[in-house]
Amino acid sequence: MELNAKQLDAMKELGNIGASHAATSLSTMLMCEIDMTVPEALVIDIADISDYFGDEISALVVFEIQGELHPGGYVVLHLPKSSAIRLTNTMLGSTDMEREFNEMDESALLEVGNIMVSQFLDATATLLGIVMLPSPPAIAIDMAHAAFANVVSMIAGDINEIILFRTELTSSLHDIESTIVMLPYDDTLGEILDLLDKLVSIKD
Amino acid sequence: MAENPTGEKAVNVGIGEYHVGSFHMTSIGLGSCVAVVLHDNKKAKGGVAHVMLPDSNGKTDRPGKFADTAIPVLFNELVGQGSNKRDIVAKIAGGSSMFKQFKGNLDIGGRNVEAIKIALEKCHITLAAEDVGGNSGRSITYNPSNNGIITIRRADGTCIEI
Repeated sequence: MELNAKQLDAMKELGNIGASHAATSLSTMLMCEIDMTVPEALVIDIADISDYFGDEISALVVFEIQGELHPGGYVVLHLPKSSAIRLTNTMLGSTDMEREFNEMDESALLEVGNIMVSQFLDATATLLGIVMLPSPPAIAIDMAHAAFANVVSMIAGDINEIILFRTELTSSLHDIESTIVMLPYDDTLGEILDLLDKLVSIKD
Repeated sequence: MAENPTGEKAVNVGIGEYHVGSFHMTSIGLGSCVAVVLHDNKKAKGGVAHVMLPDSNGKTDRPGKFADTAIPVLFNELVGQGSNKRDIVAKIAGGSSMFKQFKGNLDIGGRNVEAIKIALEKCHITLAAEDVGGNSGRSITYNPSNNGIITIRRADGTCIEI
């Protein structure tokens, strides 16, 4: 699907609202300031996903978008391994950076992901005047590209380009970086754009 | 991109792509995706396809993306470039199940491996080696001039050769 400049802008603004709610919830959980980047809307050929996700070990928490747009697509919370460990260390009061991931980390990340992504979807859906809910989360601690491509394979059977909305949330105090990525189905993206068009005229 | 011991850069085969030649090739971060390598030891060349899904459902725009189209296209390309059909063998790596929460029909990795094996049989290609399944990612490097050895690096850091 081709997006014009106004549509891309509107999607970025939508991502901005969602991500700032997710950032607030992360800030509350960690009791520190969270910085966020201006959201990007990227159209990426599936062959070039490796330019964005490498084979470094990361935590990916994945949610299916449910609610009125079901099946809507996926939302992914991505943290590089060191950030994921620092995040759970901060929550669990540990300082050991040399350890491996354990079940406690996984369940902490599932919980953090759940809270952040619920906030992200709730804020965007409220703006659009619909209901969007996250499915129960799935998690992989693995090569980022491997896990991300697994999610992409579920939406990209008929398309070779994916539209990816991405915001980085960072805590400089705890040296934690995370990325929220929204991967809508083509139909879902169309519906979101129609809803946005009713709010602000964005069609050419 | 992965460096190989000789320092030569390997060509990355992205999702849905395929390459044929005598140069080093790599595919990083294979999860449910499968790297299919067809190797001709006599000519010291071969091809790699980065397969994402089992079935093309008749689509032909991106043959490397699907198991049922990737294998014939690699095979025909090699034969077209002078390889003898009987000299071509296959090695595959990937097809893991990255999310334990996604089961059944969502196990795309397992379905990919199955579809690739069927497609190889259809083309009468011997499957010489495989490292598939499990639940962690892999990166592979293929060197056509070194007896078609594939180096596989798993997510836990261990390396194996097939």
